[in-house]
Amino acid sequence: MALYNFKKIMVVPTSKEFIDITLSKTQRKTPTVIHKHYQIHRIRHFYMRKVKFTQQNYHDRLSQILTDFPKLDDIHPFYADLMNVLYDKDHYKLALGQINIAKNLIDNVSKDYVRLMKYGDSLYRCKQLKRAALGRMCTIMKRQKQSLEYLEQVRQHLSRLPTIDPNTRTLLLCGYPNVGKSSFINKVTRADVEVQPYAFTTKSLFVGHMDYKYLRWQVVDTPGILDHPLEERNTIEMQAITALAHLRSAVLYVMDLSEQCGHTLKQQLELFNNIRPLFANKPLLVVANKCDIKKISELTEEDKKIFADLTAEDIPVIETSTLTEEGVMMVKTEACDKLLAARVDSKMKGKKVHDVLNRLHLAMPAKRDDKPRPPFIPEGAKVGRKTMEVDAPKRKTERDLEMEMGDDYVLDLQKYWDLMNQDEKHDVIPEIWEGHNIADYIDPEIMKVKEELKVKDEEMQEIRQLAKQIREKRKMKIVCSKEKDVHGPRMPRTVKKVERKTLEKEMGGLGLDMTGKDAVSRFSFSSHYAVNARRSRSVTVLKKRKREASVAPTSRTRSQSASRPPRDQSGVRDPKMAKKAKKLMKSQQKDMNRQGKKGEADRHVFDLKPKHLFSGKRKSGTNDHR
Amino acid sequence: MWSLSRQTYFKPQNEHIELHRKRHGQRLDHHERKRKKESREAHERSHKARKMIGLKAKLYHKQRHSEKIQMKKTLKMHEQRKTKQKNDDKTPEGAVPAYLLDREGQSRAKILSNMIKQKRKEKAGKWEVPLPKVRAQGETEVLKVIRTGKRQKKAWKRMVTKVCFVGDNFTRKPPKYERFIRPMGLRFKKAHVTHPELKATFCLPILGVKKNPSSPLYTTLGVITKGTVIEVNVSELGLVTQGGKVIWGKYAQVTNNPENDGCINAVLLV
Repeated sequence: MALYNFKKIMVVPTSKEFIDITLSKTQRKTPTVIHKHYQIHRIRHFYMRKVKFTQQNYHDRLSQILTDFPKLDDIHPFYADLMNVLYDKDHYKLALGQINIAKNLIDNVSKDYVRLMKYGDSLYRCKQLKRAALGRMCTIMKRQKQSLEYLEQVRQHLSRLPTIDPNTRTLLLCGYPNVGKSSFINKVTRADVEVQPYAFTTKSLFVGHMDYKYLRWQVVDTPGILDHPLEERNTIEMQAITALAHLRSAVLYVMDLSEQCGHTLKQQLELFNNIRPLFANKPLLVVANKCDIKKISELTEEDKKIFADLTAEDIPVIETSTLTEEGVMMVKTEACDKLLAARVDSKMKGKKVHDVLNRLHLAMPAKRDDKPRPPFIPEGAKVGRKTMEVDAPKRKTERDLEMEMGDDYVLDLQKYWDLMNQDEKHDVIPEIWEGHNIADYIDPEIMKVKEELKVKDEEMQEIRQLAKQIREKRKMKIVCSKEKDVHGPRMPRTVKKVERKTLEKEMGGLGLDMTGKDAVSRFSFSSHYAVNARRSRSVTVLKKRKREASVAPTSRTRSQSASRPPRDQSGVRDPKMAKKAKKLMKSQQKDMNRQGKKGEADRHVFDLKPKHLFSGKRKSGTNDHR
Repeated sequence: MWSLSRQTYFKPQNEHIELHRKRHGQRLDHHERKRKKESREAHERSHKARKMIGLKAKLYHKQRHSEKIQMKKTLKMHEQRKTKQKNDDKTPEGAVPAYLLDREGQSRAKILSNMIKQKRKEKAGKWEVPLPKVRAQGETEVLKVIRTGKRQKKAWKRMVTKVCFVGDNFTRKPPKYERFIRPMGLRFKKAHVTHPELKATFCLPILGVKKNPSSPLYTTLGVITKGTVIEVNVSELGLVTQGGKVIWGKYAQVTNNPENDGCINAVLLV
């Protein structure tokens, strides 16, 4: 059983398009160059390939059409019947049959001509045979013009049919035109069916979905049915009849109490009796609509009797008004309950239920003593259940307020806030305060933290004292140092020269071993290392830099540069090493430069032979842009 | 009413496009855009026609040419409607211009003598055929030499390279002795015969090859080339003689090269 998806059927091309597509495909996808002087088997193969390729394409496309379109025997009888009503089963089957015949004919043509081509002894002959073969196949397709057009229209209509699941829970609305079926479905589901005052506004089936008792329900809206025998019914009414006949659903027969649809109650009752046979085995409900205009109690005696009779036959009659929404929920719950009961009943009668029943066991606890132990339902659940009940007074929503106040309405969400001080509800909250973003400081646990802090207050007092003292002393130090009289710009500490003695004393005091020549050199960043000679005449190349506070550099700027050497000199011992370092650097860069890279992080891979410039046939045009 | 599932998307049903258009109307600039697009079409078409190259261009120009011819015809028809035309039907049949009024029509004697001459021609076997002269096919063209023997030196076998007809009761000679090979792939039984007056074509079974204009050898072999006269079974057409007998065989002349087209097209000789 193939799985059909009506929305995924491939587009059926027109016959002209079909021929064009296939021929141009043959021309593009098979080799095009052949010469007279090639060996005959090569020439034959070349032309045979074209014939076979064309045949293959036609065959594939036609087979796809044949498999995509549903076989009326394979799909659910509801859909089969619906398609018969809409598209005429005979015409449909004929069209597909023609396509099948065309496919076989094309195969035969290809076989014949390939056989003939084996006797072709010249290029001209093979070429003519190929031309004849292709022409023949295209003529066969030309003859299929009507079938292809019809199938395309069927496909378009089929893809827009509503997806009705014939096996699931369904409510079916039926009745005269203009009684209020579409309004009902609009109220109960999210389907947006057009509602207009003229009859036959709904011209085909519509489906909407709704929820009840945590299950998904389908509601199917049908076009109105008029009261005449089956043979005289037109396509629109037949769709409704098909839905009634094949869907296992609860039927809601909608009647118009006010007779605004143009038919009296008597006529509506007539229709009801006429289509009674279709309601066999289905839970039935009569919906008396438009009760805001006229109630059952306001009707005449005869009409009241109609409804009384119906109720006597065990068919519930419910008054509704889709305008005021009165009774709509009741209808819904009634119908759903009835249908569920019916479905459960039929399932219980079936065979499959025993598998499940065998595994189910409801355990009832045995009584220990006389103490009553009723089920415990919390208060919240009771309240919730009550609110779910139909026709309970709803609380006033903002929407209702808005409707009341009209233009005066202002949305004020702050009135629902729960603050300690209720007066502060409408205060303006600043966003930035004292240079701080208030949002950063919002902490939902702020009260708790405050409590904890209060406990620690005692210890904190001493620590605070101490901290305050430290702070004050530091400030004093800063002020003192600022007041020191320094000639010239203030140099950072690192620029100053440190005497060897002071260094030794300090570090020795801290516990560092200062004996040995190398110890001190550790603290200088240019002791072992050469200082750039050409940069300053005063600074010479020294093996070990002498710590002489008295020898001041000739200029400040020079001393700065001397104390922080450039990167290509830092760590370099002597000119020989410097040269070697430079050579290394350059040799590494050579590779990158040759490949045109920006640096060692450049890993871009260029596309030197882009596919679009090198592939495909070379027709007239350049290779630069193709 | 809203559903519990997260994805509640709108499933379009039936004529949702038209419904949407009815409810919400179209874009505010819809008509403007439509008008501009239509007026641009002429420019785009001409640009396409100028810039297209290659096979696509050939096909497009051919199609466009036929379209233009149609347009011109329609325009001409409209023009004719507007102007007044000379009515040619008023001149009666057989009306003769003034300078020919003295001549007489064909006399009965002439008709009789023509009939006799035709009968004589038929007796002599000279047929009036649609293709009186056909290119003669040489032996090398029609028959291919097949080499046989242990050393492939013997060259007495020949294979027919053109389409041929063999009868129903045909059986090959033993392969060792057959001189002319007529391959099964090239044997045809049916021909597409056109009736010249009715202008209709029928697919009729061939009864035999009457005469091949190139050589009597080909006639005996049953080789069908262009210009060959074949006999076809016309019982399908339901022709009856004056005496009441049903005609079931007629001659037809082949009008195409069957080996190039893969089918035999012929014209019925009435």
